[in-house]
Amino acid sequence: MATLKPPTNTHRSSSSGPPKAPVKVDSTATIADNVVFQGPYPVTIGAGTVIHPRAKFYTYEGPIIVGDGCIISEKAVIGSQPPPSSRSSSPLPTRDGEPTPKESTTRISYFVTIGPSSTIEPGVHIHSSATIEALATIRRGVDIGSHAKVCSSCEITGRVQEWFVVWGSGPGMRRKRTRGAKPLSPAVLDAARIAQTPLPAPAPAGKVIEDARLMVLQKEREILGRMLVSVKKK
Amino acid sequence: MSRPFPYTFISCPCADTPVPDPARKRRSRESPQKQSPQKPAPRPSTSEGEKKGLAAGQQEDEDDEQTFDPRSPRSDFSLYPPEQLLYCEECHQIKCSRCITEEIVSWYCPSCLFETPSSMVRSDGNRCGRNCFNCPVCTAPLAVSTIENATGNGTQQGPWVLSCGYCLWTTLDIGIKFDKPTNIRSQLQKMTDATPPAAFDRSRQASRTLESLKHPLSSAASVEEHARDRDVDQPTPKEDPAAPPMSTDARFAALKNFYRAQIAETSNSPNDHLSSDFGFSSPGALNRLMSLYTSSSRLGGLYGGSKKAKSKPPVMREALTASEGLCIAPKNGEADIIARLASPECGWEGVASLEQRAAQSPDARFVEDLLPLPVLLRTKRAKRCKSCKHILVKPETKPQSTRFRIRLIALSYIPLPTLCPLAFSSSSSLPTMAPTPDLDSLVPLRPIHVLLTLKNHMFDPVRITLATPPVTPGRVATKVTVLSPQFEIGANSDVWDEALQGASAPLSSDSKSAGLGQRGVPEAGKVWDKGRNWTTVVLEVVPGTLPGSSAEGGDGNPETTDEDVVAVAASKKDEDVLEIPVFVHMDWDADAQLDQQNLGKSSRADDKVTRELAYWMVLGVGRIQASL
Repeated sequence: MATLKPPTNTHRSSSSGPPKAPVKVDSTATIADNVVFQGPYPVTIGAGTVIHPRAKFYTYEGPIIVGDGCIISEKAVIGSQPPPSSRSSSPLPTRDGEPTPKESTTRISYFVTIGPSSTIEPGVHIHSSATIEALATIRRGVDIGSHAKVCSSCEITGRVQEWFVVWGSGPGMRRKRTRGAKPLSPAVLDAARIAQTPLPAPAPAGKVIEDARLMVLQKEREILGRMLVSVKKK
Repeated sequence: MSRPFPYTFISCPCADTPVPDPARKRRSRESPQKQSPQKPAPRPSTSEGEKKGLAAGQQEDEDDEQTFDPRSPRSDFSLYPPEQLLYCEECHQIKCSRCITEEIVSWYCPSCLFETPSSMVRSDGNRCGRNCFNCPVCTAPLAVSTIENATGNGTQQGPWVLSCGYCLWTTLDIGIKFDKPTNIRSQLQKMTDATPPAAFDRSRQASRTLESLKHPLSSAASVEEHARDRDVDQPTPKEDPAAPPMSTDARFAALKNFYRAQIAETSNSPNDHLSSDFGFSSPGALNRLMSLYTSSSRLGGLYGGSKKAKSKPPVMREALTASEGLCIAPKNGEADIIARLASPECGWEGVASLEQRAAQSPDARFVEDLLPLPVLLRTKRAKRCKSCKHILVKPETKPQSTRFRIRLIALSYIPLPTLCPLAFSSSSSLPTMAPTPDLDSLVPLRPIHVLLTLKNHMFDPVRITLATPPVTPGRVATKVTVLSPQFEIGANSDVWDEALQGASAPLSSDSKSAGLGQRGVPEAGKVWDKGRNWTTVVLEVVPGTLPGSSAEGGDGNPETTDEDVVAVAASKKDEDVLEIPVFVHMDWDADAQLDQQNLGKSSRADDKVTRELAYWMVLGVGRIQASL
């Protein structure tokens, strides 16, 4: 409904330009005008996904599958451009004839947020509800677990387990998020024992924070969709 | 140097006079003799004035005759960029960061911008006592957020948590939630601060019973004996239900109390004031220590048997019970920690890093032990002159305001020097446009012209005398000539005043400057350009040759070459940097009102006082290249 000129209809690239990737978009996805889709392999975009302007999809090494309810921010690059030499020699380097390198599918699952100017290299698998922050780089073939977060400007070369946060700079520091209810801090326990005061009531599980975050994301997507519709009507 | 060429530094005179020098202060106040304002004071007359004025003038002259050497190791400590310097109106001297003292005006939290009263700073541990916290994992600020609202109920009540927006740490990670969104610090303190209500009384009681049992404990053996007795009487401290394990703070407090009581009780003489607080420095304590050694080693006879006749001095004992602060290390504490480290649910990620542990309690080994950290407070500081205690900088007390009540920066008193190379080739007198010389590789022995602009920020016109050594100090002898060493800079008057006054004076100066600018040939004795409150003069610089370079021996340096060859091996870093020391002497007619209010009311017309100020500055022109 909120599709801003589905890119399947726009034929701005001339025949001489780089190959236009075949794009399969759910009708409820919101895709900005000047998102770049290049390469021989197809791009699939799920329902309710929002793709911001100047995001780039390069499918020279394999298809890209984006699940439902994702947000891909502006100038994010998914996939990689072919090296300039092969690009000039043959516009379709992987399809015909020559032995193609193993095709690697880039998969982005449900409710994933990808920050501005981040880079997702081919073959990456990002599981659901993960967050990639601005300027982060996910190297080839890395698996990002669900509910994980890669903080801004981190560079990920190895697997990130689910519910982990990678923060800091470069390879970063890792921290496990809490899912269940945690025991009280030893400092609090000791204090309560010494002062002979009743222990504070147990806190809820850490999952509620993540639930809240996902709910806020959902709202954000909905509001964005509504805003775009109202803009279009005007 | 760290700055790109060309740069200017000003030398703070404090390097020469480390102690506040009253003679210098008096000299720079004002010179007694009156000078006619029309004639720019020539240099000999000023030095004459100095000599006449004061006995210390002789020494001053000697000081002035010494050329400032920008290469000397000491000068690194006195050279400052002009904008970093302050000026003391009382001493009439430039002040750098080493000749001021700082005092704290206010403490405030950088996060909530609330001022903390200085009486509260210590009890709060230099940290914000309100709602501001930093993440214990990644140090990002924590936000107070509700859980209930997020999970669906619209009301704003319910448990609250602190959550980090960056690494997604929340207080749920350590199982803590808060009932109110305000005063989080006191809520957290209530949860973690373990001061047992009756603990101190109990410890005092326990020690009192010990003393009553056997007051003057004569030797360590008896202490042990006594402890054994006590063990028989009472359950051991480990099994004592009345003495639960304490938190670190409580244990520290208990130990401190215990030792204070011990020192008070074991000190020999009650009238000994030194031992009452901390008795090791007192002669009584020394005596006690000595007798302790003599009695234990059975050498008492050597040191005089008379001491034995005295009553045995009391001995301090150590803490024996947990309520006194004794903490017995758990039997397999280390093993437990190691097992926990190796367990799969902890892993590398679960261990707190050194940075994370730095501000936490010493028991915190794992990420789960970390507590949110209240934000450290910051200060606003006032700056005072060290010699006269005059306030130079005073910021507004309120943390929200960035303004200053007083700020005497040097640039509003001394002209701002700026340097730029002249883009004309100087070898031919024709005004052909040559490219600006590359300051990072100046050609030796080829003269260049450098424009030095001095901009006056005072409301009085200033007479300037520049002086440079004809040859720069150091082994690279660069010849420097100031083409017009004496000139005037106009006052920093209001621009509108000048515009409204009528076109006569400013127009002529403008046309003059335009004419000067177009002519473009540096001439000796003439200023290059002049504006409302600035003047530009030309310096002719002939870069010297680097020792051992190919240009050596061609011209200029009649030094012995073998010496240079040796020197090249130990060639100092940055010797090719061309820095010119320039002595600036400025004098101006200032209103005397600032200094002498009582004199000011007598007559308005001639209460002008001639002031002078002199300092060294260093012009960093460029880097001399090695070969021609």
